[in-house]
Amino acid sequence: MAPHVLSNAIVLLLLVAAGFALRFVRGNRMWRDALAQLWRRRRGSLLVIVAFLLVGLLDSVAWTGGQGQDALAAHEARTVIDRLFQGDREASYSAPLADAAFYGGDPLAAPGGHWLGTDILGRDVLHRTLKGARVALMIGGLTSLIAIPLALLFGISAGYFGRRIDDAIFFLISTLASIPSLLLLIALIMALGKGTWQVCLALGITSWVGLCRVTRGETLKLRELDYVQAARALGVSHGRILVRHILPNLMHLVIITFVLMFSQLVLSEAILAYLGIGVDGSWGEMIDQARNELSREPIIWWNIAAAGSAMFTLLLAVNYVGDSLRDILDPRTLRETP
Amino acid sequence: MRQVWVAAALVGSLCVLAVGCNNNPYPEHDAELKVLYSAFSTPHRSLDPAEAYNVSAHRVTGLVYDTLLEYHFLKRPYTLIPGLAKQVPTAEPLEDGRVRYRFTLRPGVNFAPDPCFELGGAGRVTREATMEDVAYQLMRLADPALNVQVRDQFSNIQGFKQFHRALIERRGADPAFAALPAREQYAALGGVEGVRIEHPHALEITLHSPYPQILYWFAMEFTTPVAWEAVEYYDGEAGRERYADHPVGTGPFGIDVYDKRSRIVLDRNPHWYGLADPRAPGAHYPEEGAPGDAEAGLLDAAYVGRPLPFLDRVEFRLEKEGIPLFNKFLQGYYDSGGIIKESFDQVVQSERLSPEMAAREIRLQKAVSPGIFNLGFNMEDETLGVPAGDRGRKLRQAMSLAVDSEKWIELFLNGRGLPAQTPIPPVISGAPEGYLNPYRQVDLDRARALLVEAGYPDGIDPATGAPLKLTFDAYEVSSQSRPERQYFVDEWRKLGINVELSSTTYNEFQEKVDRGAYQIYFWGWSADYPDPENFLFLLSCAMRKSTTGGPNSANFCHPGFESLFNQMEVMEDGPERRAIIREMVAILEQERPWIEIFNGVGYSLAHGWLANVKPFGMSYPMTKYLDIDPVKRARVRLSWNEPVVWPVFAIAGMFVVGIIPGFRTFFRERQ
Repeated sequence: MAPHVLSNAIVLLLLVAAGFALRFVRGNRMWRDALAQLWRRRRGSLLVIVAFLLVGLLDSVAWTGGQGQDALAAHEARTVIDRLFQGDREASYSAPLADAAFYGGDPLAAPGGHWLGTDILGRDVLHRTLKGARVALMIGGLTSLIAIPLALLFGISAGYFGRRIDDAIFFLISTLASIPSLLLLIALIMALGKGTWQVCLALGITSWVGLCRVTRGETLKLRELDYVQAARALGVSHGRILVRHILPNLMHLVIITFVLMFSQLVLSEAILAYLGIGVDGSWGEMIDQARNELSREPIIWWNIAAAGSAMFTLLLAVNYVGDSLRDILDPRTLRETP
Repeated sequence: MRQVWVAAALVGSLCVLAVGCNNNPYPEHDAELKVLYSAFSTPHRSLDPAEAYNVSAHRVTGLVYDTLLEYHFLKRPYTLIPGLAKQVPTAEPLEDGRVRYRFTLRPGVNFAPDPCFELGGAGRVTREATMEDVAYQLMRLADPALNVQVRDQFSNIQGFKQFHRALIERRGADPAFAALPAREQYAALGGVEGVRIEHPHALEITLHSPYPQILYWFAMEFTTPVAWEAVEYYDGEAGRERYADHPVGTGPFGIDVYDKRSRIVLDRNPHWYGLADPRAPGAHYPEEGAPGDAEAGLLDAAYVGRPLPFLDRVEFRLEKEGIPLFNKFLQGYYDSGGIIKESFDQVVQSERLSPEMAAREIRLQKAVSPGIFNLGFNMEDETLGVPAGDRGRKLRQAMSLAVDSEKWIELFLNGRGLPAQTPIPPVISGAPEGYLNPYRQVDLDRARALLVEAGYPDGIDPATGAPLKLTFDAYEVSSQSRPERQYFVDEWRKLGINVELSSTTYNEFQEKVDRGAYQIYFWGWSADYPDPENFLFLLSCAMRKSTTGGPNSANFCHPGFESLFNQMEVMEDGPERRAIIREMVAILEQERPWIEIFNGVGYSLAHGWLANVKPFGMSYPMTKYLDIDPVKRARVRLSWNEPVVWPVFAIAGMFVVGIIPGFRTFFRERQ
């Protein structure tokens, strides 16, 4: 199956999942209230996140056909975003909205058409920045998909079953936590090879420990609560207790951690890009490439500015939403909020 | 009020200090001397002429050690002239394919004064060098105890390899033998068979098979006369230095101070042969040069024919960081320098010096370096290489026609390169002159036509119905160098060929190479010596990566090319050899195992007071030809480095203003 078909299918799946999630939220009073409160408090940030998500989705829907920038593009699957930016490839650098090339001053193919200028190979910077949104979301999303189940599995089993299992898991966690995480990341990527999946896997393996500690602690507490004790006394199976009583009470933690971890991951990728082991097409890569451009005379700032502000905007919005979510969902602050 | 007086005195003395001091890092009394100041970035691991094999070390050893042959200072393509030898020898063919070279040493070649010569007799500070010393050094090259990186290149000397093996065996078998001084070990083994000394001033080198390029090695410090006294005296024990840190040679300069963590000072060698014999070719300024040298002021009547060297002293300082080094150059404290990437656009504007730099009388020197960077195809690949026959050839030709190297040089090298036409850089004697490779001129229409002929119309592979998919293996690609590779991929995209840029680690790349699982790669080569053979051998069968692990990563092996190469390899430079090289280049033009990209152009800067600067490109210091106008330098340095005093006053003023409230409170409280 061609990769773009898979990508399209995943987009469809995501949309369906989002529909179900919305229905669930509408049917559940607590979640509905939380969402409404979040919307009231952080409307701007939510809109920014939705915009980035939309760009990421648009950049994941691709099909072949049509005329492209060059002979090869016609045979390639191009996304909606690619199709918006085709046919205006320049020779090299041009400043934002410029009419002429930055060096030499030759006329451009699309004068005034590059809102954020072009890079050294003449590619539109706005195009690359928008494409970076998908990479950032993928890094955040995929890694969370790896890290959260791991953390939940280990955290709940350690907290709920205790004893030997707890000892073993806690030993694993402590060991992992005492390895410098950057070192471990580099080693993992060297072993797994480069690529988006590999980087996400490596980030996932190094970032589940924090959530695992939290879920373990929370489970330890939940295990002793009256209704759990009652369920156990009535002979309800472990699996059922975990699914009905423990897991739902951990969900708010999962969501808060997910949101906060997300921004951490996108930043980690930028550091990895700096070390030369990042993901192709990411903002981290753009920033790393632009490092030397800053020391040029005259300075070329639009690459680093575009990638930097895109990253900043997304992460700021995510952090705002994360903070508000904590306020809203954390039981300790739940009652205090109006 | 006493405190006020103290404060005033403090401020006053600060002012005096500020006016009286400057940023000159050198002692005042050196200002009138012709001292050349340059920098080195890392301490030298070894200055032993058998081991030193990098540009930075050669800048020191090249002054201390003289060689039998030298390169002409001005002539290009590079030309050999006699140095310590009386003439450049010619090859004498012997029976059964052996070749002999006879070197005659000039009389009166002396070592620079050094206490080590006491070993040869009390009170001696120097002695005359003989061919024994050259033979001694040649035996040292074969010595497994030394880290000689060019041992292979001397293995054509008869008995050289055997001598090397004999040393290993005897040392392993006989500890008493291994404990002897190296010189006595060499003597006990009878030396190298092909190195014979007829009398102290005549040396015969016999090669078991022809290797005309050996003469170039006699222009490098590897074959300099080495005094056994120095090697044995400087053994690193009892407070003595190692020989690797204390060079003693016959060159125009000798080591005065060697502190490898801060500075190296070289003084004139009072016993240099050139002082007694200024008519020797390597001892005076040349009378003739290359075209354009006269216009460049390199054949100034004030210098032509004058005895060398002009400088009194050469001083190297350790300078670890690029930006301070460049700043000191701009302040006049280094006489010449490179251009750091960070300020390239500030220094060079549209390929000329910026007005600001030109006003300082700084000169920009450009020199094409004898090296090449190229894309290569794996000729054993099913799609691109020989197995694909004519289709593969046409595909390679089409891909070669699509790559615009001029623009690449513009984008990624600030224009510091020449689009390459053949594997042989144009500064190498024997490179085809005025040759334009028809497959290295961008012509997309022709490329598309060739693709149709190759059976890939519009880049579509009929076997799959999709665009032809190839892989470009680039290892250790950083984000910064990624666009440099992506550029080529984008060029091929214009033809509809889908080349995937696969960036791997060096180890993964090596693994791929070992398996032969690579299609396109990017590579560079820099000359060891200026001979076309040093480039064309990169495409010879014997150097194939797949069979011998050699540097021929293209795995190119063409019978016609190979037989021409075998002919060319053993020929002396001349019209016949050049004709053969032309034929070889014509084969490469059609076969396209490489897409030649560029020959680098080195840019260097020199101040106006430094005379006779001509970039050489290879690692041979031409310091003995340089001259300095110290008076002008001293004057200009002063005017460029006028201390900026006002910040001192400003800071002092702020200090005073800052403490006034304190004083006021103090006095008020006391009352």
